[in-house]
Amino acid sequence: MSTEKLSRRAFLKLAAASGSGVALAGLGPLSSIASAQDQVELTFGRHWEAAFRPRQAEYDEGFMERHPDIKINITYNTWADHNNVVPAWAAAGTLPDIIYVHGSRATPWAHEGIIIDIHDIVTADEEFNVDGMWEESVRLYRVDGRIHALPYDHGPIILGYNKDMFDAAGMDYPSEDWTMEDMAAAAVELTDPDAGVWGWDGRLDLGNGGGGFFTGAWGGVHMNEDETEMTMDTPEVRAALNHWYKLIHEDKVGASFTEAESFPNSQPFRAGVAAMGHIATWSTPSMRALANFEWDVAPTPMGADGSRYTGAFGSGYGITPTSDKPDTAWTYLREYLSLDGMIFMWSLSGRGSPARPEGLEVWLNSDPAPPNGHYFLEAMFDYAVTGPPFQSLAAAQVSNVLSTQAELLRLGESSVDEAIAAITEQGQAALDAVADDM
Amino acid sequence: MAPRKRKQDVSWRKSIKGRHAIGIIITFALLIPLGIAFILPFIVMVSTALKPLNQVFAFPPRLIPETVQWENFADGWYGYGYVNFTTCTWNSLKITVNNIIGNLVSCTLAAYAFARLKARGKNFFFAIVLATMLLPNEALVVPQYILFNKLGWLDTHLPLMVPPWFGWAFFIFLLRQFFLTIPEELIDAAKIDGAGHARILLQIFIPLSKPALATLAIFAFIGNWNNFFGPLLYLRTPDVQTLPVCLVQYQGAYGNTEWHLMMAVATIAVIPVLLVFIFGQRYFVEGIATSGVKG
Amino acid sequence: MLRKYFPAISASARREERIFYLFILPWLFGLVVFSIGPVFGMLGLSFTDWRISLDNLQFVGLENYTKLFADPIFWTSVGNTLYIVVGRVVFGTSFALLLAILLNQKVPGIPFFRAVYYLPTVTAGVAVALVWIWIFNPRLGILNYSLKQIGIQGPNWIFSKTWVKPSLILMSLFSVGPNMIILLAGLQGVPKELYESAEIDGAGHWAKFKNVTLPMLSPVLFFVIIISVVSSFQNFTEIRVMTEGGPGESSNVLIWYLWENAFIFLQLGVAAAVAWIMFVILMALTGIQFRVGRRWVYYEGEA
Repeated sequence: MSTEKLSRRAFLKLAAASGSGVALAGLGPLSSIASAQDQVELTFGRHWEAAFRPRQAEYDEGFMERHPDIKINITYNTWADHNNVVPAWAAAGTLPDIIYVHGSRATPWAHEGIIIDIHDIVTADEEFNVDGMWEESVRLYRVDGRIHALPYDHGPIILGYNKDMFDAAGMDYPSEDWTMEDMAAAAVELTDPDAGVWGWDGRLDLGNGGGGFFTGAWGGVHMNEDETEMTMDTPEVRAALNHWYKLIHEDKVGASFTEAESFPNSQPFRAGVAAMGHIATWSTPSMRALANFEWDVAPTPMGADGSRYTGAFGSGYGITPTSDKPDTAWTYLREYLSLDGMIFMWSLSGRGSPARPEGLEVWLNSDPAPPNGHYFLEAMFDYAVTGPPFQSLAAAQVSNVLSTQAELLRLGESSVDEAIAAITEQGQAALDAVADDM
Repeated sequence: MAPRKRKQDVSWRKSIKGRHAIGIIITFALLIPLGIAFILPFIVMVSTALKPLNQVFAFPPRLIPETVQWENFADGWYGYGYVNFTTCTWNSLKITVNNIIGNLVSCTLAAYAFARLKARGKNFFFAIVLATMLLPNEALVVPQYILFNKLGWLDTHLPLMVPPWFGWAFFIFLLRQFFLTIPEELIDAAKIDGAGHARILLQIFIPLSKPALATLAIFAFIGNWNNFFGPLLYLRTPDVQTLPVCLVQYQGAYGNTEWHLMMAVATIAVIPVLLVFIFGQRYFVEGIATSGVKG
Repeated sequence: MLRKYFPAISASARREERIFYLFILPWLFGLVVFSIGPVFGMLGLSFTDWRISLDNLQFVGLENYTKLFADPIFWTSVGNTLYIVVGRVVFGTSFALLLAILLNQKVPGIPFFRAVYYLPTVTAGVAVALVWIWIFNPRLGILNYSLKQIGIQGPNWIFSKTWVKPSLILMSLFSVGPNMIILLAGLQGVPKELYESAEIDGAGHWAKFKNVTLPMLSPVLFFVIIISVVSSFQNFTEIRVMTEGGPGESSNVLIWYLWENAFIFLQLGVAAAVAWIMFVILMALTGIQFRVGRRWVYYEGEA
């Protein structure tokens, strides 16, 4: 992709030198050296696909070297399975000490006592720089003003494009001053039904993160600040949805839903048959594995009034109430989620989206990062806002309504007015139903 | 046994000469096109197992890989050193074999009782057998998990290997239906010879029900071999994990799935099932007529 | 009162009864240890505000049930379930019977075909999503490609509100393997002598099928139908992997509705209520089938 980058192998070497060995030593051992007999076992419930586990194992080996009194024991499940298994663990009281928490689960899990309030532990630890994390990312896990988990990964949604397709059409790449109208015009130009290629990949995503990308430029907002009211029945949201609806069904420049479903993870952009699509940093490793073309990123296009807005989202880790050793769990997390820990795990490995700006800077030089990856960083600094819903107990229901209606819009089974009416009615009903429990 | 088998093998040739020729043509006219559709899932799996990852979703789709990547099988099997398929396969095999035997023993006993023994309360208990089939398992997942935790069985194979020895409604019902088709006169004759119920079961019902028992064994094999949710929930340590759970470890969030490796191991995992099916088949076709007992 | 259910019986009958209870003892033991607790636990929990934690549960009476009855999506999913169950049972059973009969013919290559028709059942699981893209995807799928060859523009299958339920029924035909095997085993069990004597009486193919095959197969066929109804209610692999209840709510069936409430919305009390409603519906349907079954199922062993 780009010549200035080091190979993955070189990075692994670098990581071995800086990450686990030198940099982390700076944190200082919290625990004294202990014999194997009084080793504490720290259990984990998390998801990583097989390919990323060697990295995790390397980190844990380094950690156990620094803390001979702690033994790490991990239960891996896939992302979806993890979210199904945790409720069962919680009901039976068999939760591990630390669990992976997707941003959308933080509020319900905190409310159900699946993750504990770690606010005091975090803020009392002077060496742990919680202010060095994106505020937008920490916000996901703050329930009633108190931190219940900490992010490892957080990413804004910006514009990805297929350089080969722009080159072939002799067109300029998306620029910093693009508006949504410019994007639409380029999409029309790049679409060639005979060749089976589209200007835009047609994915209309109204959920966490995606919502900001698709409605923010028009000033549309899904919900009020507290997430107690749906605010989608507005001229702004209507204008935004009409824009995308027209691109799909009238201009036919976006891959239809059924067509999109033919591609990996439903992404025609990744498959190289759509010139543009929205993208977050966590998708970059799979872009690297699957994309047979040159690609890059540009800022989320502006609204007609020159304003820029997009959504962001991510995941973190929390400590469970079942854990009888929250301090030991924190010993792990404070290092794992420190800048050095993040650089080792997510920046140098190219996995993406470290929840600290300095971590994201280092990631920019990793292999999977696109040449203009700095636009991710700028988005986080300038205009990305964590996408609702995530603060309501009914967040899952509202997300469900949003994705159902987005799908119907893409399929042409609903009009924009029908979709907005359904979202407002069903979303509001879900929010009202939990109003008393909050 | 042997002469009868030969007779079976040539019988179609005889019938071709007869008026059944049209029937055979119709049979093939239906079997072949439908068969192509039915073999497709398997071919898609094998084809994906042979492709490089970036061609799995290539457009337009190709059933025959452009470049064949045989090393997917080895790469998939050895994973990244963090998924041990040899251990997973061994665990799956152990659980599956145990469960087939457990199910055969416990379900045969109960099915015989429900089919052929007279007892007060029989209908009541049979209604309960049926009722236990009707509750959706998905709803019982959490309470059962709590139960096995209370028993201290989590992270062992016990929650998967003990219950099959205590019957399963579906199999009890299945065998009962087959046992009901066995002629009453056979039992009466045996009774006159002074046979008890244990002997009747062993010497009449079991030999006569080979197709049904083979069916049960195949179902138990596939059900246990492919069981995903049970092991997922009950087992945590990698060393005790089973094949289906190991398999999905190639699945990642955000499209990071290594389809080619997953399908390669899935193909390997299907082989034992296929072998069991192919070699177990002769038991389906050995009905009453060929097992040497006249009705 | 008890007399009515436990009338006095002879010594030999009592011996047989003891053997009956001895034989069902393992099952009975398993029932008490592994099932009774969870099942009644679920019943109790369906009257609480159970979300996840079992501490501080509030008794809410019938609230979960009344909430369900007031939810239009619940009723949509009841309708969808019945649609799909009827389709799967009618077409699935007929198709399984047809295949079983074909695979019971004495033609060359039958063992091969038996394996082929069982393959989709075996390759299910992880392969399922990939496979259905290959077959049902409106753009890439082999189905629409074939239809195009004969000049028909295929529908959007699982991506159409109208076609998603027929698509799911069609998909289910690929997994008739188990029913096909059960019926095949049943067909193999029909004594050849019965066919021979029917032939002597001059019976044709249809007469043999109607007067010999069907009655002899009826206990097994009865089983297949009952099981199909149950499994059609409970099967949700395709729904979870392929449609997640969509488009809109058009393939939202009760088992998906249950799953969604339990594991996505974390409303385990509501999910428990859905489970009990499903149980009651299935109880009623199975009861009716047993009643009707008395008229058409022929048991050789029952005098």
